[in-house]
Amino acid sequence: MSAPAPSSERGPVYRAPDGSFALFNDYGAGRAMVVAAPPAPEPGTAFEVWDRRRADGPRALAPAQAIDGYGVFTFPYGPVSMGVPEAGRFDLRTYGERLLDIVPVGGFKSRRILASLPGLTIADAGLRIERLAGPVSASHVSAFLLAAESAAGATVPAPELWVRAVAQELQRLYNHLRVIARVAEAAAQNVGVAQTQALAEEILQLEGRVFGHRWLFGALLPGGPPRRLESADRRAIAEELDRRSREFEGIWELFLESRTFVDRIQTTCPVSRELAVRWGAVGPALRATGVPWDDRLRIPVAPYHDMFLALPKETEGDALARVVVRAEEIRASFLLLEQLLGRWPAASGAGEPALPPIAPGRGLGRAEGPSGDVVYDVRLDGDRIAGVGMRSPSDANWPVFALGLREGVFTDFHFACESFGFLFAESDA
Amino acid sequence: MTGPLGDLLTVAVAGFFVGAGVSFFGRRAGYAIALVASILFGGVGAAAMFSGHVAGPQWTGPIGNPESLGLDALSGFFAVTAGIVWVATSAYSLSYDRRPSPVLAAAYGATLGSIAVLLSSGDFVLFLIGWEGMTIAAYAMILQATGRAGRVVSASFVFLAFGEASTLLVLVAVAGLRVASGSFLESPTVAGALLANVVFVSALLGFGLKMGVAPFHMSEWLPIAHSSAPSNASAVLSSTLTLAGVYGLFRVLSLLPSPPAWWGAVMLSIGAISALLGALFAAVSEHSKGLPAYSTIENNGLILVALGIALVARSEGLSTLYAFALYAAFFQAIAHALAKTALFLSAGYVERSTGTFDLTTVEGRAKRSGRAAFFGTLVAALSLAAAPPLAGFVSEWMILEALLQSYRFSPFGLEFVGLLAGAAVALAAGLIVAAMVKFLGFTFLWRPRPTADGARADGLGTVVGAVGVVVVGLGVLAPWVLRAVAPAAIAFAGTGVPPPVGSLLAVPPGWSILSGAPFGILSPPMIPFGLAAGAAVGVGYFALRRMRSVRHVDPWMAGSAPGVAGETYTSFGYSTGLRIMLGSMLDTREVRSDAGLSAEVGLATPESYNVELEVLDRFKGFYDGLVRFGVDVSDLLKRSVMPGDLGRYLAYVLIVTLAAVIFAAVVA
Amino acid sequence: MSWLGLAAARGILTTRYPDVPVAEEELPRTGHGPAVPGGGRPPADAVAVCPVEAIDPDGIDQGRCIRCARCFAHGVAPDGRAEAATLRRADLTGGPAESGSTPNPEAPLARLGRSLHVFLIDVGSCGACNQEVLAIANPFYDLQRLGIFFTNSPRHADVLLVVGVLTDEMRPALERTYAALPSPKAVVAVGACPISGGVFRGHAGLQPSVDAVAPVDVFVPGCPPAPVQVLDALLRLGDRSRVDGGGR
Repeated sequence: MSAPAPSSERGPVYRAPDGSFALFNDYGAGRAMVVAAPPAPEPGTAFEVWDRRRADGPRALAPAQAIDGYGVFTFPYGPVSMGVPEAGRFDLRTYGERLLDIVPVGGFKSRRILASLPGLTIADAGLRIERLAGPVSASHVSAFLLAAESAAGATVPAPELWVRAVAQELQRLYNHLRVIARVAEAAAQNVGVAQTQALAEEILQLEGRVFGHRWLFGALLPGGPPRRLESADRRAIAEELDRRSREFEGIWELFLESRTFVDRIQTTCPVSRELAVRWGAVGPALRATGVPWDDRLRIPVAPYHDMFLALPKETEGDALARVVVRAEEIRASFLLLEQLLGRWPAASGAGEPALPPIAPGRGLGRAEGPSGDVVYDVRLDGDRIAGVGMRSPSDANWPVFALGLREGVFTDFHFACESFGFLFAESDA
Repeated sequence: MTGPLGDLLTVAVAGFFVGAGVSFFGRRAGYAIALVASILFGGVGAAAMFSGHVAGPQWTGPIGNPESLGLDALSGFFAVTAGIVWVATSAYSLSYDRRPSPVLAAAYGATLGSIAVLLSSGDFVLFLIGWEGMTIAAYAMILQATGRAGRVVSASFVFLAFGEASTLLVLVAVAGLRVASGSFLESPTVAGALLANVVFVSALLGFGLKMGVAPFHMSEWLPIAHSSAPSNASAVLSSTLTLAGVYGLFRVLSLLPSPPAWWGAVMLSIGAISALLGALFAAVSEHSKGLPAYSTIENNGLILVALGIALVARSEGLSTLYAFALYAAFFQAIAHALAKTALFLSAGYVERSTGTFDLTTVEGRAKRSGRAAFFGTLVAALSLAAAPPLAGFVSEWMILEALLQSYRFSPFGLEFVGLLAGAAVALAAGLIVAAMVKFLGFTFLWRPRPTADGARADGLGTVVGAVGVVVVGLGVLAPWVLRAVAPAAIAFAGTGVPPPVGSLLAVPPGWSILSGAPFGILSPPMIPFGLAAGAAVGVGYFALRRMRSVRHVDPWMAGSAPGVAGETYTSFGYSTGLRIMLGSMLDTREVRSDAGLSAEVGLATPESYNVELEVLDRFKGFYDGLVRFGVDVSDLLKRSVMPGDLGRYLAYVLIVTLAAVIFAAVVA
Repeated sequence: MSWLGLAAARGILTTRYPDVPVAEEELPRTGHGPAVPGGGRPPADAVAVCPVEAIDPDGIDQGRCIRCARCFAHGVAPDGRAEAATLRRADLTGGPAESGSTPNPEAPLARLGRSLHVFLIDVGSCGACNQEVLAIANPFYDLQRLGIFFTNSPRHADVLLVVGVLTDEMRPALERTYAALPSPKAVVAVGACPISGGVFRGHAGLQPSVDAVAPVDVFVPGCPPAPVQVLDALLRLGDRSRVDGGGR
């Protein structure tokens, strides 16, 4: 029997800043692979574009074309505008109406967080990682803690891992609802937007009740606010989530019946599977092109290795597919939360060992955030941080968004941008 | 037999040609003589309107027909309009024309003189001589353009071709009138229905060609836009050449009493389509002279619409509407001529102070300290966009009021045509606002930066500003202007066309224009009062509150520095929405060149390419096809009938000789 | 079911704040500012455990607290005051007793009556404060019933809501935005980051306070403050907040 043909579906995931290794996803085989001592990234590839976020000052987060012609000009949209609720600029190359090229420019919110971490304890570093991107704090902290625990070879008690999972799933619910509300707002579905925002607010209030902070700051770190996750609390949470799940079903069904909503996002910013794989797209954007990758399934750590998770995937790769994938994931998250809350581990059980380190004192942690896979690369020096590298889901999706929106028009911009669920804060760490 | 006024008329008309000759010795002297002649000509025209007739010299023409020079009230109106326009353009040319060659000045004088001849002609042979002379002199003017040589020659040839076609059609109309009336004199005639229709159709097409209405609008925009003709020439072309076409149409129609309704309906349709096409192409034009050229197409379409309504109303027996629409046509003619002159002179000013005709490149860099030029451009653009209290507003209001009254027509077909025409004119009015805002905005208002060398534009701005003042006056004093036009209207229609001026409510008598009895009312002189009163409230409020502090900040660019990436929203981008949305009407295409390695997006290396969004005039495609067809036919004839074969030619001679012999034998 | 049916089934969700006090769901008690129960000086190990030096031996600086809750295990507890916004920076460091000695400054935009137009600028936030500010437009809080509106351009705004820690790159943008607001205008600093730099205080390339660029009229401590606290801050500008006896 001949050797199996090498899979051509290999997508970039992360390249260490010191060049010692690079991480790839093999979508054909369905697993991650580490390549030692990779060559320096060529200009215009994913690794090179992602690396730009380490520079100071405003920098382009996607490859640009050189387009010229009569009446063609660059229209800077940002960094201060209500349409894009964060500090980031989009350079639109256009001759009016049509988007010939679009380049997201980040670096305006760079708080120099990763550079400030060496020398801190893991808990203190966690305080800053939480506030790197507030709406997705749970996934960032979980990935960071996984990496730190892997580097230290620690053992984590099982209930703590369940808590991290519950936190991430609740934030996933909130973020997906936020994205659906933003996309619908662009389509002027005002009643639907109000109902979705109300549901999102109810999830936030639930998070505040359970974890003592609406955005879970301190919730996954030692010394945080008191949690309410006793068995009686868990039953109450499960009942409330059941109600919310039915509310969501009602809302989503009505959204799908609205032709103006569906028409507006169908065929908007189409991303092909090849494009997504080549540029290392992650999360709902990747699954909307038909690639069945979810960190919770492919890199199973407790508690996900034992839970049922339906993997939604569409194949069109347009904004509608991304929104539909998110809606399906909301359903999957409700189901996952029901399982997590129903099968809570005993506090006295043996802890879960961390993943093996990638090098002595160096661990890699990955978590599936609401917008996709977030990778942390932590080097420890004793019990203090020596260095942290990170690649956020927004970093990975910016080039795919920019390349997919070529040939669009101005009015497509918001639908495309919101459907990816970007956070400039993630790219500007 | 000619009085002092008639002598003055002769002097004026001759003066243009004298000035053309003097240009060969001194350009400025030539223009100065043209300026004086224009003042004389306009003055005599005004006198003709007052007194009803100015008789000039009479003599026998080349074919034994009596010829004379003279102005009656109708031609006097056009003479006054032309005189005002020419005063402005001649004064402008004094400092504008700096080229060493005197040909432009000579051609300019000859054009003016030819138009003066045809306006003051008493018979159609002289009219035709003036008409043809106008075409050839204008052709010479356009050849003086400064664009690429190949384009200049082909564009001016297009002008000449269309001009000769119009002469041909006018000739047919004149011949028809000769058959009907027995002479070439411009006197009313009674013609049989078929002859009258032939005369009408050929006159409409022939004069319409000169006016630049659809489907002949290419004759208007192509020479001006593609060849970058000098601005004083463009002003004369757009304002007075087309005015000559309007005059010709008025004159011929005045000689054919009792028009059937379908004449008016046809004029209405052609006018409405021209208005819409002109406005549409103006809104997507990037050329600072092409945009006004398209606007001329629109405005001449509006004149046709007004005349069309008038003719239909006359055939339906609606005398009030007939009078109102007729005055609307007259007012539109003078309002457009003046505003368009100012706009073209302003385009020349902009070109002098920024060095380009391209609105995308100008970007507000016209010399800001040229306040007179700015004022003149502002007034002209707003007048063409029909903003109160300017002349264009009054004429547009009158035309729309006339269209609104198309419900008075009894046959449903006429009502329906009026309805569609009204919709088209309203749409055109909206599009032309976009076009004029674009012109004004991107020449003077867009991110003004001091220009390096604006000195060459000195003196030009004053003329533009002066014409602007006249346009404002024309609008505010509209009721009195309409009363002054009355003799011309009466000369056109006979009696029974009083000016539509009246009074209502508390407005002093004679200050209002009435569009029907009853229908609508407008009082242009009251508008400045209203504007001033409103401004006084605001100013007074702020003066009382003593809020006099003003803080200047940069324009808001979403927090970015103004001019980041060194670029700004272009005039091209302003209209691209229209280009894309109306892509089927405008035949919009995107063309890419120097494409990257592959069309597949997401390639590792950045791509680079050039992109052009083009808008094509479908009618030009039709004409190009016509030209190709003509060339193909002549090729075919050449190859099949005249192949250069001696034997074949001898055979032709033999055949013709035999046929002649047989013919002679049969006849004898 | 239609949107109408779904909405009718959901019922009215809008809070009646400021006519009623802040509810527990709107702001969990752990989100209140820290205070020493019964007054007095903070214990020494609370001073040591605070990662942002918000607690020092003399008192607690609410403007620096990032709500990490580490001090709750060392003798400090939530202070039970939901409406923590103040008009002076100094009022965030003193306890309630001290700030009562000087008269409150006049509400900055009282003469604008019952209408307020707000523009949000993010100068370097993590995104949580953005979400909390935008949440005042959701059906639970409904800013429009109080006469508050978001505008799309600073030229139309009366109030500049600043979130995030000021980075060097955003400084010119903040200056331009502040200049673009026409007078009378006010600035509201939402969250610990624009007041004191939050957890990023001391990082290179960041300014600890936006006050130098855009003088702040209302300080809203929290990390992030809850939507109802943002509403309270906006009402303070017009002297309509619950604390001032407003709630009209």
